[in-house]
Amino acid sequence: MPLMLSDFGMNLVTEIFIMAIFAMSLGLIMGYAGMVSLGHAGFFGIGAYLVAILGQHIGNTYLLLFFSIVVSGIIALITGAVFFRTSKFYFLMITLAFGQLVYALFWQMKPLTGGADGMSVSAILNFGFGDLFSPLSIYYVMGVAFIIAYILLRFFVESPAGKITKGIMENESRMQALGFNVRIYKLMVYALSGSMAGLSGALYSYFNLYVSPDLSGWLFSGQVMMMVIIGGVGTLFGPAIGAGVFIFLQNFMSSYTERWPMIMGMLLVILVMAGKGGIIHWLQHIQKAVFSRKKITQDTNNQLKEEEAAS
Amino acid sequence: MSIFFVQLLTGIAYGMLYFMIAAGLTIILGVMNVVNLAHGTLFMLGAYIAFSFISNELNFWLALLLSVFCTAICGVILEKLLIKYVYGKELEQVLLTFGISFILADTVEWIWGTEMKTLPVPGLLDGSISFGDTAFPIYRLFVVLFGCLLALLLWYLETRTRIGAIIRAGVDDREMVGALGIHVGFVFTGVFAFGAALAGLSGVLGGPLIGMYTGMDSEILVTSLIVVVIGGLGSWKGSLIGAVFIGIIETLGKVWFPSLSMLIVFLLMMVVLIIRPNGLLGREVA
Amino acid sequence: MSLLRVEKICKSFKTLRVLNNVSLEVQPGERHVIIGPNGAGKTSLFNAITNQFSIDSGKIFLEEREINKLSSHHLVRLGMSRTFQKNNLFGNLTTEENIHLALIAKKGYRFNVFSPLVKRSDIRQETEEILQQWNLTDRRQMKVKNLSYGEQRLLEVLLALASKPKILLLDEPTSGMSPAETQQTSEIIQKLPRSISLLVIEHDMEVVFAIADRITVLHHGEVILSGSPEEVRNNEMVKEIYFGGGAKLHA
Repeated sequence: MPLMLSDFGMNLVTEIFIMAIFAMSLGLIMGYAGMVSLGHAGFFGIGAYLVAILGQHIGNTYLLLFFSIVVSGIIALITGAVFFRTSKFYFLMITLAFGQLVYALFWQMKPLTGGADGMSVSAILNFGFGDLFSPLSIYYVMGVAFIIAYILLRFFVESPAGKITKGIMENESRMQALGFNVRIYKLMVYALSGSMAGLSGALYSYFNLYVSPDLSGWLFSGQVMMMVIIGGVGTLFGPAIGAGVFIFLQNFMSSYTERWPMIMGMLLVILVMAGKGGIIHWLQHIQKAVFSRKKITQDTNNQLKEEEAAS
Repeated sequence: MSIFFVQLLTGIAYGMLYFMIAAGLTIILGVMNVVNLAHGTLFMLGAYIAFSFISNELNFWLALLLSVFCTAICGVILEKLLIKYVYGKELEQVLLTFGISFILADTVEWIWGTEMKTLPVPGLLDGSISFGDTAFPIYRLFVVLFGCLLALLLWYLETRTRIGAIIRAGVDDREMVGALGIHVGFVFTGVFAFGAALAGLSGVLGGPLIGMYTGMDSEILVTSLIVVVIGGLGSWKGSLIGAVFIGIIETLGKVWFPSLSMLIVFLLMMVVLIIRPNGLLGREVA
Repeated sequence: MSLLRVEKICKSFKTLRVLNNVSLEVQPGERHVIIGPNGAGKTSLFNAITNQFSIDSGKIFLEEREINKLSSHHLVRLGMSRTFQKNNLFGNLTTEENIHLALIAKKGYRFNVFSPLVKRSDIRQETEEILQQWNLTDRRQMKVKNLSYGEQRLLEVLLALASKPKILLLDEPTSGMSPAETQQTSEIIQKLPRSISLLVIEHDMEVVFAIADRITVLHHGEVILSGSPEEVRNNEMVKEIYFGGGAKLHA
């Protein structure tokens, strides 16, 4: 497949892979835990800057990726522990504040992070068989990372812990009454989500070779949320599709106009006012429409049989 | 030592500014259960509109009034066209107001450009008053005074007027209030417009203090959200306490730990939440 | 040794005294019913016992172990389970999925993040048994919000039973039911094994007298009387509460 794409196309798809991981991480807490976080880009930035800063001193890719995952996860755990004590409204606003805090920190700590100008990334991917810096090799790495991330999430969602988390989203008080320690599950999911977001940020560093505070800004948090919404909240793969659609749109639009934020805002407004659940749900609707005709006839047959038996 | 007092005054003035905008946010939140993420952008809009008026030789006070009027109208339009369709749906509200803020913010950038701007301090309030050997800028005193007046107004509206009672009842039981013949829709539009007007108002008043620049909307939104969280959802009194507190800590923090002032504010919020998950004066949210 | 012992608990919400020195005891195997007019504090009593909120004073003992300070999910682990007056189910999940969740709660692998739940044969088997025992097999794939009200009420009880509790708190199990459904539910309750003690809040007097070993009468957050069904039936004060302007007595 990569042979069909130009360098530019390949870069685009690589970016989509990375954003898809990010989007899926947000989709996890939104769709399976019912948490709406407006500051998820905070974790992305943390992962990205970790690679950028530490990458100046440490060359080991495994170590850097590991740090990004673990540090983001821990920060998610700590902040989650405080944030979940509050209601959903508060959670929303606090996560926004969190994202902005990370942004402000990167912006202000100029000597360490380069401040508003950002910093370049010198780290190079190396999994033990040579440096990987060609677009093609990075493309493969990100593709594999995406697949691994998806599989991991799939396992989680189907596992007992995953089902329980979904149950908590559906009816928290009942889950509590059934005997589940609701807090622990929420923390678990949030930590998983945060570390995955951090991972995507780290990967982005290797890919883009340049990081800036905007990676934690609220515009970016809004963008990843759009990806989840476009793709469909409540499914695992939806956000990945949303990421694809969004990046594509963004690239397309940006080449015509500088007013991309305005267009994005309008898209958001339209999406909300139109009131459907994103692309995956549209696909599901279509699927139901096509297959339900079969089911209707089957149901009617069953009904007729029952009536016959009764008379 | 005298510098400390000036800083304190500055901190309180900023705090009052935050109170004004946070009050609008928390009222909309408390009365209508609506999360309005476009609030910061309305603040920004107010400032920029006033800027245009003033640039066209209009007097500060007139510009202030017109600006507030414009933002209030904006609020009415937003509520009637968009916001009222998402009552009760939190995620939709977030996305909708998020989107609106992007549209508005980008519009501002489009029309007015990206360079930093300021609003001039109105002639009447220029200069400073001296107490002993300390010179206090008059404008900042004015802002503090204005904040106090606003607090008084809110207290009066809430406890003494029919509107206050209606709103309180409307929050508790919307259908019942409607059954009593009061047009709840009007009330909600009015509340939203009021909140928007407050945002615009604080934008104009903040112009000479904070200046105007790209990204000010998200910054002020976050600060006001923190104020609302600390003070408690729906409680403007809580916002007052929280805002002044934050204003002081932030200003003093900027003097002592310039790059960490935001972190300090954020940590303060975390601490408050640990001790009182519903904010200082908040009630349980449905 | 009593199974559940509530000792002089008090709870006020601001100025409203909801529970005032309420005491009661449930013996192992007992069917203990709580009655009282609306607003008497019955559901609040349940909420206090299950630690949905903390009490102002008094103590609660489960098998002589003080449980005031434990979190509500811990109590389930200790053998206490409850249902809700208003259906509190997972509306968007299927009947099967609802039962799954209730069953996992006490399993050792509930923190497992790896092997898919559907492969767990013990869960599948237990779910199957429950579905068959209560005639719900043809409802297994149906979303719970589409079940009939009576079926939902039944599921409400089944979810609480799934954790094999020692004591089950039933909050108005027959509320909103037709006479036929009420009769059905009453029979189900009577058929429950004596290894499970019951603390039931009920309004329907026929059901109350059909199942109760002991009855406690609550009024304005206070215990008026705690005794055998005969004692309660003949008590003057109780009659006063019910016929002298209190809630309706439908028997």
